[in-house]
Amino acid sequence: MDTHPPSAALAIVPPQRRPPGIWRQGWFRFRRNRGGMLGLGLVCLVTLTALLCWLAPYDPNDQSAMLHGAARAAPSWAHLLGTDRNGYDVLSRVMYGAPTALAVGIGAMVIAAVIGVIIGGVAGYFGGLVDEALMRFAEFFLVVPVFIVILAVVRLFGIMVVGTRLESIPHLNLMAIIALLGLFGWPPIARMARAEFLRLRQAEFVEAAVCIGTTKRDILLRHILPNALPSLIVLIALGIGGAILAEAMVSFLGFGDPKAVSWGQLLYFNYEALKVAPWASLSPGVAIFLTVLGFNLLADGLTDAFNPRLRQ
Amino acid sequence: MTRYIVRRLLFSACLILGVSVILFALINAIGNPIEILLAERPGVTDEIIASVSKYYGLEGNMVDRYFTWLWAILRGDFGTSIIYNQPVSELLVIFGLETLKIQVPAILIAVALAVGAAVVAATRQYSRVDFGVIAGAMLGHSLPGFFVGIVLILVFAYWLGILPSYGAYSTRALLLDSPVADGLWHMVLPVTMLAIFNTATLTLLMRASLVDVLRQDFITAARASGLPERRVVFGHALRNAFIPVLTYLGILFGLMLGTAPVTETVFTWPGLGALYILAIQQLDYPVIMGITMVVTVMLVAATLLTDIAYVAIDPRIRLA
Repeated sequence: MDTHPPSAALAIVPPQRRPPGIWRQGWFRFRRNRGGMLGLGLVCLVTLTALLCWLAPYDPNDQSAMLHGAARAAPSWAHLLGTDRNGYDVLSRVMYGAPTALAVGIGAMVIAAVIGVIIGGVAGYFGGLVDEALMRFAEFFLVVPVFIVILAVVRLFGIMVVGTRLESIPHLNLMAIIALLGLFGWPPIARMARAEFLRLRQAEFVEAAVCIGTTKRDILLRHILPNALPSLIVLIALGIGGAILAEAMVSFLGFGDPKAVSWGQLLYFNYEALKVAPWASLSPGVAIFLTVLGFNLLADGLTDAFNPRLRQ
Repeated sequence: MTRYIVRRLLFSACLILGVSVILFALINAIGNPIEILLAERPGVTDEIIASVSKYYGLEGNMVDRYFTWLWAILRGDFGTSIIYNQPVSELLVIFGLETLKIQVPAILIAVALAVGAAVVAATRQYSRVDFGVIAGAMLGHSLPGFFVGIVLILVFAYWLGILPSYGAYSTRALLLDSPVADGLWHMVLPVTMLAIFNTATLTLLMRASLVDVLRQDFITAARASGLPERRVVFGHALRNAFIPVLTYLGILFGLMLGTAPVTETVFTWPGLGALYILAIQQLDYPVIMGITMVVTVMLVAATLLTDIAYVAIDPRIRLA
């Protein structure tokens, strides 16, 4: 007579280690990608600068160089990257520009990702008329000349708040730019989210989840969304770089937040003095370049890591 | 095909109308620009503001004004610029030609260079040359345009002193016997700046597309039939690899037009972008509306044309 409890039979099989999840697998592949690792390094560098910007040699609002005629001074030991035409220490300004840039990039992409995932997810999961309507709506945002509309809105918004209570909010202009970049940046994410939700809706594990009676909410949030994330992360990394570049361009044209310390702003104030003080324009330019390059390379590495089928 | 085109055209018209409504509403949300521009100037009375507003078509309620504006636009009348006191349509042509003068050559040069670089890279996939092309293109793609422009000005205009740093013409060119050469000379730096980004982006795309096509069965068949490699690549592969690139050209053109304000600020180029910056600084709202509408229409048209071309060229695409 066999009196073995069922568990005893199972116990013979040695306990297996959990297979690595998609994130760990992705990391194994990512580690081998030299460009991606370089990108990660650059992004870490920018993040570190942002976290440690208080180590900057001068206060970002210190214009004392103006007083003893040392504005537009060439790089020296006292001012490693020189001073600009307003008497600011360029190195300190560039360092304090890092948190602004990251706030813009991450802030805009958080907004874009939330809108994009909700719209794309709903469109992909429910399909039909909802899908059609939402994707047409997304297409609308894809055709709009985003950059020039943002320029106009930032300027008009700046006029609208004059004399209202909103005016006293610090960095209101910067927040408006972040919100606009987010509001105009979601369509690519929505498209990708739609495609992923559409694909995963028919996946076997989702069918299995439906069979054991998982609620719709859990299916969407705990089964489909985590599996759609790797593809979305690529777009988000690209978008962060794009948003940082867009803010730099808006500020460079003189429509940025006058109170914020940003790389574009630094360029705007110093571009006219390019011939006399090139270091004041080149330093923020290099900072923008390295940051954008970092996020682009990171996105490229992530594509290779998570969608290896795309390129062999 | 005709039905597809008609449907796309209708959708495009709706898009353009939508953009115009939103922008019109936004611009009007700040109130009467004349009031803002003339506020706190000595001797400005309400009557003056009222009569100036009337001259620029700014009186009455917003909905009426929108339809008046729309009707006028449809007849080609974009209103009168507040800063230039000149018909906006004239300004659009004058400044628009200057913008196209640097945008179109930049795209043409980029296509030529990108095809060359992509062929070199894709036919030697994973070689050093290939990695070099990818790395260079990635670099050029990530270089912010205005930063490239600044470096170009610094090197070629200030340090070497061989190329002009700003403007589309020099004043003395009017006295010279070769205004054309002078104009071309001024175009070199802005076109270079735009071409670097365009070339890099198109090279990345073209290489990926060509690598993909070169792996397909019909290429193997062409090789097996004894065609020389040169004809396989240029005759068979390149034509097919060009399809995704073609669709991207429209997007790229839109991107270039959209960032024209930056390009033209860097080089003080008298184009639409520079006019746009001036218009939003001075709240010249007929010009703001005019430029936005023109750029939107061009963008929509570019997307539409590329979509139609896509369908016309690629028999694998079936119309939904």
